[in-house]
Amino acid sequence: MSGGSTSVDPTVSLEVAAPPSERVQARKELWRLVRRRPAFIAGSVILVFWVVCALFGRLIAPRDFSDFHTTPHLSPRWAFPFGTDKIGRDVFSRVIVGAWDVLKVAPIAAFIGVFFGVILGLAMGFLRGWFDNVASRIIEAFLALPVVLTALLAITVLGRSTTVVIATISILFTPIVARTVRAAVMAERDLDYVTSARLRGESAVFIMFGEILPNIMGPIVVELTVRIGYAVFTVATLSFLGAGPGVESPDWGVLVSESFRSIYAGFWWTTLFPAAAIASLVVAVNLVADAVQSVVEAS
Amino acid sequence: MSRFLLRRIASALVTLWLLVTIVFVMVSVIPGNVGRRVLGAFAAKEDVIAYNAKLGTDDPMLQQYGRAVKNIVTLNFGESYQSGASVRSTIFPAMFRSGKLALLGLLLSVPFGIAAGIFAARRQNKLSDRAVVTTGLATSALPEFVPAAVLAALFTVTWKIGKAFADPPEGTSVIGQLRYLWTPALAMAIVYFGYIARMTRAGVISALHADYARTATMKGLSNRQVMWRHILRNALAPTITVISVQIGYLFGGIIGVERVFNYHGLGSVMLDAVGKKDIPVLQGAVLLVGIVYMLATLGADLLIAFLNPRVRLATT
Repeated sequence: MSGGSTSVDPTVSLEVAAPPSERVQARKELWRLVRRRPAFIAGSVILVFWVVCALFGRLIAPRDFSDFHTTPHLSPRWAFPFGTDKIGRDVFSRVIVGAWDVLKVAPIAAFIGVFFGVILGLAMGFLRGWFDNVASRIIEAFLALPVVLTALLAITVLGRSTTVVIATISILFTPIVARTVRAAVMAERDLDYVTSARLRGESAVFIMFGEILPNIMGPIVVELTVRIGYAVFTVATLSFLGAGPGVESPDWGVLVSESFRSIYAGFWWTTLFPAAAIASLVVAVNLVADAVQSVVEAS
Repeated sequence: MSRFLLRRIASALVTLWLLVTIVFVMVSVIPGNVGRRVLGAFAAKEDVIAYNAKLGTDDPMLQQYGRAVKNIVTLNFGESYQSGASVRSTIFPAMFRSGKLALLGLLLSVPFGIAAGIFAARRQNKLSDRAVVTTGLATSALPEFVPAAVLAALFTVTWKIGKAFADPPEGTSVIGQLRYLWTPALAMAIVYFGYIARMTRAGVISALHADYARTATMKGLSNRQVMWRHILRNALAPTITVISVQIGYLFGGIIGVERVFNYHGLGSVMLDAVGKKDIPVLQGAVLLVGIVYMLATLGADLLIAFLNPRVRLATT
């Protein structure tokens, strides 16, 4: 659809060369401001740590995460920094390897949700009229669905799989993102550049994706980071409830789930270290999201 | 006011109808053969047929849809697949127990959240403000079962001041029940207080900069009078909205907390239903929480309209 109107005409490209470079500069400036915020630095250090663990966990982990040839329920010590679990596996290695499971699912779900949310929000804000009215009503109804409970229902009805978890989270995120994007589009749609694009006779699709979209990237990036945080939150909760995507992996939620009852017997380390891993990841994502948000909103 | 009320209630009813439709599509349309989907590819054919017959998922679509709409109007969510008892008799008492826990969680988080928000707003950009904001940001990101596990370890094992099994025995007095419920409620309050604090802070800061706040100070009102009479009335509107939205989320997060503290509320009923593939119970629970969410947001809108005449007199 947009192929025809976005194809680059050599004569026009000279004229439009200036505004994009300004945009690139503005983006660089924003990025510079974001990088200077302590919250962003702290958040991204933790985030990078977990991403490295997710990608190379099996190489970094000091032991095999499924090896159960040591004494069960050893308290934390030099050889086993996070202790061992009820069948003698090294909790430290399991936590490191387990980073993969959350990070594999949550960002994908958030990306898909944001992708469709952006399309829906652009269409609602730009087209207005009956489409906007109907879609807004449906969004209202979606907001009444609690994500975790709905995911439990979806997993029971459709079968437990990574795809169902990702699909449920992204479908429930789409309306939330759409609402944010719609608000951003409403602020842009009557500005001069949109009017002039209309008068040039550009198609609605080109105006939405070629003109308005680049100008609302700020709120969209903010929404994406916030959504990744919520996706991690949701995936961890589902794993803890035994309805997560991973089945045989040492997913953090699963680690907490299978060990939390032994807290009452005094074995706190099998639960608290994976719980702290979840906490550090969600807090890190939210620190980054908050830093990006405050810079974007200030600009 | 009555026109505002009528319009708001009408829109809530439309939302309710759409909610039923969405859940219907998810549960009855997308799976195709529901029994086959739920029981898996290896289940015997007779079992699948029996399952579908029992749930009525082999009836014509339109008939099923009519039943779904009728069920929500009468608040009768059908019968449990597993026990045959009415879903209502299963989830309403569970909802009541979860509601007690959720209410206690709100009672702990709302006053502290609002107080922390006002405190931070009055010290904007000072160290104490940054501390409140960052703490709120960090704790509100946590999945509820994480603080629940930490509190379980600290309060029930190390310090022995909480209960590992939060179910109060039959006939415990209200005060007695508090002794069982305060630890899980605190776990939820830790998560929810931060968001309330941040919303309150933002609302108060923008109200502090408003002209009416300056006028009120200039005409000689004390700081306390300005805060109570002028600022909070305006600043709390977004906070009230956030609290109402959280009442819905509360029932999502409560499942993890209930599991850690072995509490028998909606969460344990739902997890039980997941294990037994009891779709009517799950569906009923999701719809019930959806209704609670809508009632909460309806209540919040009315409260905001009551506090702020500009909202209720606006004609659009």
